[in-house]
Amino acid sequence: MIPTGSIPQAVIAPELSWIGLALLLPLLAAVGCALCCALRVKGKAAAILTIVALAASFGIILKAYSSYTGPVQVPIFQWLTFQWGTGTFQSFTANCALYIDTLTLYWMLFVTGLGTLITIYASEYMEGECGAGYSRFFFGICIFLFSMGALVMGDNLIMLYLGWEGVGLASYLLIGYDYSRPSAVAAAKKAFIMNRIGDLGLAFGIFMLWANYGTVQYSELFAAMNKGGQSSVDWDVSVIPFLLMLGAFGKSAQIPLFTWLPDAMEGPTPVSALIHAATMVTAGVYLIARMYPFFELHPQALATVAWVGGLTALLAATIGMAQYDIKRVFAYSTISQLGYMFLGLGVGTTFGACYHTLTHAFFKALLFLTAGAIMHGFAGQLDLRKLSGLRHIPGWRIVSWTMLVGCLWLSAFPYTAAFFSKDAILLQALTSVRADFRFLGWLGLFTAALTAYYTFRVWFRVCAGPTHFEPGSEEHHEPTDHHSDGGHDAKATVGAAKSHGAFHPHAPRWAINGVLLILAVGAVVVGVPAYEHVFAHKENWAQQMIAGSSAYQGAGLPGEHSAEPSENHPTVLGMDAHTGLTVVGCTASIGGILIAWYLHLHSRKSADQLRAALLRRWWIRWVPICMENKWYVDEIYHVCFRLPMWLGGQILNFGDRHFLDGVLVDGLAKIPIAVGKVFRPLYGGALQGYAVTMAGGIALVLAWVTWIWLRGFN
Amino acid sequence: MPISTDILLIWISILFPIATALIVAIGPAKSARWTALAGTMVSLAALTMFAWNFPAWHNAEHFPNTVGASWIPNAGITFAVGFDTVSLLLALLSAFLMPLCIVGSFSAITERTKEYYGWFLVLGASIILAFAARDAILFYIGYEFTLVPMTLIIAVYGGTERRIAATKMFLYTFLGSMFMLAAILYVGWEHRLAAGVWDFDIDTLTKTAIRLPSSNQYWLFAAFIVGFAVKVPLFPLHTWLPLAHDQAPTAGSVILASAMLKLGTYGNYRFALPMAPAGGADLMSFVAILAIIAIIYASLICWVQTDAKKLIAYSSVAHLGLCMLGLFALNPVGAEGAVFYMVNHGLSTGALFLCIGMFYERYHTKDTDLVGGLAKRMPVWASFMVLFTLASIGLPGLNGFIGEFLCLGGTFIAEHDGKTGYPGVLGPWYAIVAGLGLIFAAMYLLILLGKLVWGPLREPHGESAHAGVGHANSSTRLPRDLSFREIAILTPLAIACIWLGFQPKPMLDAIAPCAEKMLANYPKEVERYMAESTTAPLASLRVKTTDESRDE
Amino acid sequence: MNQELASGFTIAANASIAVALAISALLFVIGLVGFLCRRNMIIMFLCTELMFQGAALAMIAFARLRMDVSGQVFVIFILTVAAAEAALALGLVVLLYRKRETLSADAWSELGES
Repeated sequence: MIPTGSIPQAVIAPELSWIGLALLLPLLAAVGCALCCALRVKGKAAAILTIVALAASFGIILKAYSSYTGPVQVPIFQWLTFQWGTGTFQSFTANCALYIDTLTLYWMLFVTGLGTLITIYASEYMEGECGAGYSRFFFGICIFLFSMGALVMGDNLIMLYLGWEGVGLASYLLIGYDYSRPSAVAAAKKAFIMNRIGDLGLAFGIFMLWANYGTVQYSELFAAMNKGGQSSVDWDVSVIPFLLMLGAFGKSAQIPLFTWLPDAMEGPTPVSALIHAATMVTAGVYLIARMYPFFELHPQALATVAWVGGLTALLAATIGMAQYDIKRVFAYSTISQLGYMFLGLGVGTTFGACYHTLTHAFFKALLFLTAGAIMHGFAGQLDLRKLSGLRHIPGWRIVSWTMLVGCLWLSAFPYTAAFFSKDAILLQALTSVRADFRFLGWLGLFTAALTAYYTFRVWFRVCAGPTHFEPGSEEHHEPTDHHSDGGHDAKATVGAAKSHGAFHPHAPRWAINGVLLILAVGAVVVGVPAYEHVFAHKENWAQQMIAGSSAYQGAGLPGEHSAEPSENHPTVLGMDAHTGLTVVGCTASIGGILIAWYLHLHSRKSADQLRAALLRRWWIRWVPICMENKWYVDEIYHVCFRLPMWLGGQILNFGDRHFLDGVLVDGLAKIPIAVGKVFRPLYGGALQGYAVTMAGGIALVLAWVTWIWLRGFN
Repeated sequence: MPISTDILLIWISILFPIATALIVAIGPAKSARWTALAGTMVSLAALTMFAWNFPAWHNAEHFPNTVGASWIPNAGITFAVGFDTVSLLLALLSAFLMPLCIVGSFSAITERTKEYYGWFLVLGASIILAFAARDAILFYIGYEFTLVPMTLIIAVYGGTERRIAATKMFLYTFLGSMFMLAAILYVGWEHRLAAGVWDFDIDTLTKTAIRLPSSNQYWLFAAFIVGFAVKVPLFPLHTWLPLAHDQAPTAGSVILASAMLKLGTYGNYRFALPMAPAGGADLMSFVAILAIIAIIYASLICWVQTDAKKLIAYSSVAHLGLCMLGLFALNPVGAEGAVFYMVNHGLSTGALFLCIGMFYERYHTKDTDLVGGLAKRMPVWASFMVLFTLASIGLPGLNGFIGEFLCLGGTFIAEHDGKTGYPGVLGPWYAIVAGLGLIFAAMYLLILLGKLVWGPLREPHGESAHAGVGHANSSTRLPRDLSFREIAILTPLAIACIWLGFQPKPMLDAIAPCAEKMLANYPKEVERYMAESTTAPLASLRVKTTDESRDE
Repeated sequence: MNQELASGFTIAANASIAVALAISALLFVIGLVGFLCRRNMIIMFLCTELMFQGAALAMIAFARLRMDVSGQVFVIFILTVAAAEAALALGLVVLLYRKRETLSADAWSELGES
């Protein structure tokens, strides 16, 4: 397919510095939003500012894409740069500069594009917050897009690190947006800290790269790689991929650092869609794709990525099956899909992983935004047991049908875009020469069936079936204040109510509906490259984009990971690999949907009966219990890490105060006091006492002098 | 010899606050604060003018480098003053913080104001003197004299245990300084043996000291490190600090953390490391291990603190542990990071103390179990608090990151192979353990934020009576959220934090030659040390054995 | 000058210095014992004067021995100072007497540690 040559060298192109505006504009918008915050602007100025800035940076990226000729390096200004000698290892260069190649553009296109769309959506979604946290929200979004831009476009790993932590900050601020809710605050904290653990891995990976290659700039790193940088493989080189991997796992919510993402759903839904589904969490995929050649430094590095991805996909899918909160189901599905991407990276198809990232960005953003619209309209109700038949309610059709699109795509329904992207990953796994990768491929197929099941469990429950709903309590979920929205005061419009008292769900207006439609269309459109590939036998656009970058290098290394279909005609279930996988994939997807249809639409009672039946049998009871309780991972972490450290802190705190300070320091200070006590009687206050002391002292000195004299001065 | 303008400016920045202190002491109490503010502003202006014309930003020389006016000729003690880049940066930091602290004390100090402002001015002057001194004895005088005003500020204006805290601070740090003084005198004496005259010029002493045999340097270094470790403070000599911070008034805490502790790290940079390279090479892993213990130990303690101010105090111990680690990585990356971190720790931690002080003035408690969720009540304060906390956590784009990252990176690459031109014995494992401290820092500072800033509003009993926005708090006459004066204090700090995060390059360039000069003798000495000790991975044990062999 | 004469001088000086030192020691010890044993402040003061004179006598003796007048200068200086100091001390004693109506030194022990 794509030849594995050397990584194309970047040209230094200062004349392209206008691309830097794509970073600067969100930053300026952030300043503007901060000013809006400080001036307590009541209107939507912050949203407009943000939308304009993001749209402009999308335009800039488009222009950069259209005028793209080859990898370029665009210096902007010197940042963290100094040197102390002239040798390779005697300088540290991390400038504020951009590295633009196809991978960068690929990523930035959907980041800024989706960013703009979701911001438009949020401008309506968050309008209940006007004058309160509205500007603050958009400040967070701007910070996020700036950081994401720095992460993707930076020309060195320090810039990437800046963006890496910056998106973490944006995530922190936005998850904790509604800071009066303790759960939101805790979730924000958890997200930041778990990311920090990954970040540390990334930081050490960067140090290790510097210590071995003397640079952190991509162009020089790749140049070193082209020259055969793998030749000097000792332990500290081979540990690089594992360190970088840790960072990727943290940011992309993989085992063992995945537990923050479901909690991150405490944030407003546009945030969940943009940051925690479409863009930020794919940063880990980007990192591995960007640094792909370095993952060849250890033979088991990519295998580890594959295993972690495959297992995370399965684990998250099993948890997602048993959740009742729509956003949480989607959150676990995000983790699961990210698992697929890592599986793809691990088994050697960066194209599959990156393509899946793209399709996933669209359909998952779409799903979250529909969930957000539901939440917005039903006063924060997200329990899928308490919502039903939404598609029959006037004003909710667009939401229902666009959600169906999202669900079909998520469950990889045949001939949707996601079907092809997932297919690319699983094909690579199933045709691998490594048995464990083939096993992971089958595991991925099984997971695909589970995915189809839990996705349609949501849709059949919420959008299909008899119309029935209960409003949520606003305190429990987001602060979407439906009362303030125009004439939609729920308590005033009693007449419109059905079987549920005075509640009137207010349907979304143009901004939300429009964005949902655009995203649905987008989800279809991202399939076009695959259709072209399948039906017109053109080269896949996404593949072209990836192939022009560092991500493809090493993906076809001899033997281990890749399998060229033309070489030995790998087969799946006795059929040609492509055909076989299509058949099996279709079966998994449609089978899952059918089970969901039976349990959650056809006879909803049977789902409860099944659950009760499982719970009755002791030998199988642990399965639903563990799934509903997220396999107790949070609890295990609490007992294994937080509790011992908290205890350690208490012990040290006590020891510091009472032993180190109390015993050692104060004890030392008591020595002079004790010595003083011995001589205290000599100074009793009586005049003659002093005189005796003095005379005695003189006598002692005299005696000593005499003794020395008698002894003879030596 | 005519006195140059530069020397005049330096002496203005030192003596003008002292003169102002006298005016404050005899003038009326009402105008004391404004007089004091004027005094610090003049000091800052003089120092800024000096820095404006400072010719040595890009070399490691001292400027002015002339022979100082003689003070005690027989003992070779002079009034030599002059800055190199590092000391100038630190002096500028102190001079920059002084007016902010004075303004920050307007509402907090209501009794004995004349004495307070007077001593505060003296404190600032003596800190600048210590940084400006080019004569070791002059440095010692500045270094030691900071204790007098600080003790008085804590003992008179502090919290309930202020006397104990002040006494402990004074005695503890004084005891440490005795070792340092002994070391200085010892080098002076060696100089006299070699050259026949007494001389306490720091450069001259350095030249003398590096020629000493390595066993002498070992003890010289040990004496210096004991003296400065108390001030830094390095585990296990830190216990005076949390108590002093806890009891000190806000402005006292700010100066203590931002300027006085820097005297300790600065002392390492100026005296311990360049004067006794052989000792430094022998003891580097020992100091590095103490620094790492400090990071982990203090971080874990921070985690369970409920007193906001104590938490920040312990976080200072952890952060300065990282700074020391960077310094003792003994390569330019670590040293630059450490010096950069000295300045930036001063900014962000000083700002955090100011924030905590502002909230303390309103609620009269620092207990995070009692008060919380203040983002609702004081959004402006909360914004500043979040910003400075993030700077303290080391978020890239803010100032703390540069220093932390370079310190850690310097530790990481301090390996045997010496590709960087600077061999070291620390390496990745040290960095990884210290790196845990970064995770912990995020944890405890975010826990602090989570309690104090976010979450549902919690106010101590009776305080919510003044709940209305904009209503004055009856006891302190402060508005609910920050007043204009308080915003004016925090804004310069915020700007500095963001600016240095995005534009560290000028400062890094300025520090680089000084860092290299400090490390000039290290590659050779570290190589000697590594050649002497064959078993590489157990550096700490090695130190112990050399220790014992020297005793015999 | 012949050596015998010189040595004769020395011997004479040695002999006389022994006597002078013995007397000075006697004076000093009498003063010391008196100072330690008596409680009357005036007597104690007189005893200190005695110790003074003992010391002064020793100084003169050594001055004679070393043929150096500085010792004698000192003694003259001491005598004048002692006179001034006597006036001061007696004044103090009177003052103390007025405070406590007694001359006993035991009446004053506020400086004691315990």
